[in-house]
Amino acid sequence: MMMAKPIRPEPPAKTGERLLDVKGLTIEIETRNGPATIVDGIDLHVDKGETLGIVGESGCGKSLTMLSMMRLLPNKIKVTKGEANFAGRDLQKMSNSELRKVRGGEVGFIFQDPMTSLNPVMRIGQQLAEPLIYHRGMSKAEARKRAGELLRLVGIPGAEDRLDAYPHELSGGMRQRVMIAIGLACNPQLLIADEPTTALDVTIQAQIVDLVKDLRDKLGMSVVWITHDLALIAGLVDRINVLYAGTVVEDAPVDALFANPSHPYTQGLLASIPKLSDERSTRLSSIGGTPPEPGRRPKGCPFAPRCPLAETICHERVPALEGLSHGGAHRVACFVAQRKLEAA
Amino acid sequence: MSVVPMTTTPIEIEPPVSLWRDAWHRLRRNKLAVFGLIVVVILAFAAIFGPYLTPYDFLSQDLNSRNIAPSLSHLFGTDDLGRDVFSRVVYGTRTAFLVAIVVTFIAVLIGVTLGALAGFFGGWLDRIVMWLTDMTMSIPNLLLVVVINASLKSPITSWMEGRYLATLNPIYRETIWVDFLLVFGSMALISWPPYARLVRAQVLSIRSRPYITAAQALGLTNRIILMRYVVPNALGPLIVAVSAGLGTAMVLESAFSFLGVGVNPPTPSWGNMISDGLRVWQHYPHLLAAPAAVLGLASVAFSFLGDGLNDALNPRGAK
Repeated sequence: MMMAKPIRPEPPAKTGERLLDVKGLTIEIETRNGPATIVDGIDLHVDKGETLGIVGESGCGKSLTMLSMMRLLPNKIKVTKGEANFAGRDLQKMSNSELRKVRGGEVGFIFQDPMTSLNPVMRIGQQLAEPLIYHRGMSKAEARKRAGELLRLVGIPGAEDRLDAYPHELSGGMRQRVMIAIGLACNPQLLIADEPTTALDVTIQAQIVDLVKDLRDKLGMSVVWITHDLALIAGLVDRINVLYAGTVVEDAPVDALFANPSHPYTQGLLASIPKLSDERSTRLSSIGGTPPEPGRRPKGCPFAPRCPLAETICHERVPALEGLSHGGAHRVACFVAQRKLEAA
Repeated sequence: MSVVPMTTTPIEIEPPVSLWRDAWHRLRRNKLAVFGLIVVVILAFAAIFGPYLTPYDFLSQDLNSRNIAPSLSHLFGTDDLGRDVFSRVVYGTRTAFLVAIVVTFIAVLIGVTLGALAGFFGGWLDRIVMWLTDMTMSIPNLLLVVVINASLKSPITSWMEGRYLATLNPIYRETIWVDFLLVFGSMALISWPPYARLVRAQVLSIRSRPYITAAQALGLTNRIILMRYVVPNALGPLIVAVSAGLGTAMVLESAFSFLGVGVNPPTPSWGNMISDGLRVWQHYPHLLAAPAAVLGLASVAFSFLGDGLNDALNPRGAK
């Protein structure tokens, strides 16, 4: 298949330059009983050309952090503290019109559910053209031509003929490809993929992961991939942040995380992935209990009530995210893991 | 170099089926809706071309042939001034359509604008709009229209007469359009709240759909999102409401004309013809029957069409 013309010539170079730098972001939701903290002072960063995986179970604040960073959440949910710097500018302090230029223009989004994330009454081609006309000032004809190229780029057969299709005429996998094409339309520097494969079946999931990997290498952008499926992104990401109850509990290069998971929560997550070598009679391992509700966070480590290794100190103080090895690249927020490492 | 290691064999691509064509197929299968559509089309044709095709002028009087029963020369007979009732009913169709379309258009314009803004932005704007809507709905419709017409018509008419005498400007001579203006205005004033409520409810549910967040994530402005993402998705129920609303507006116009606060004689309206016919119906029932039957037919036709559109545009709600 002929490639669409290269958009950015150099392959991604990991310069170590911060593209996205979230510092101490605190997110609260208004409830009947007053504000409840959902995300508590989260720190995250993504370097240029880097792919970051954000992992955690449902409701731990993965999507919420990314959406609220872009100020895409309803008024009830507010960022109360902290900053989110994108290319050196704080997204929280930008004017609405500056922010609109970043959204879609510099940061692309792919959403979880391709069945409902496309406008059902607008043709695919128009939906693809919209950001091009708005951000790049293209004419309708130029935008349509580029829309056709984008559909070809994401591997939709008969791309040009599909421009006039409505979303309901495409399968789930095809729609997710369209979503990706829309997210990439303006060559963003950062692509945020919010569980883009959750609604798709397994073979399509793998295709989508491969597609994003290819496009990332070709276009040289950074990617944040949010998921609850560690195995899915093992081959895609450079670094993984494990989130629990709105805080990062472990931050590690992908190999280090799989080789040496240090936080008991990460260990639990990895243990709960079924293995082909397991006996059929083996019970699937799971982590007992449920994450704390917002506003009912324990005083100490948020994972302590469910933690098999919890000690007295865990219930009293919140552990900081501290470097273990790899020159501090592997960091964990756990007293037990930190002590074990110091002893070794 | 291939981006995606997947199918490169060309696949069969059907021409896109638009939502509207899909709805049209469903509508055509509904007999009552097709009946409604046919009647509405005939009435619309009569409203546009009828007055040029009728054998008699709707105003010309023939005092030698008053109150004649229906016959071949006068299909619906003649009234107490010898005017052809068929020609008057046909002209009444024009009045009914004119009032219904203009009133519904204004009401929909106000209702959609206020409802969409209230639903999309929420907050204090929503509270003010909903307060206005509830307030308007709480005033009895007939009473409000009667008050407006009764209190404004004669001052405006006499002011215009005064202007005409003072300036001799022909703009001020014709006062018939004041009738229409007041009827349009007062009816639109009481008709917009249901549209505003409907659109607001639609927008509230659409606002939280993922494709709206996706559009915001593309950096589109609120105006584009509202006009191209929110309102088009709210159109289905609105079209149904408009279709039913046209019928309601026709009945309402007739009701006001019947009460003498709508379109005044000699301009024919089904309502004022029914009102005239009612006084003599024991002797000349055709004077009441003809306009009443046509009004009933129109009302039923719009209602069937509205139901059919509802099933066609919201297939999930259909049985």
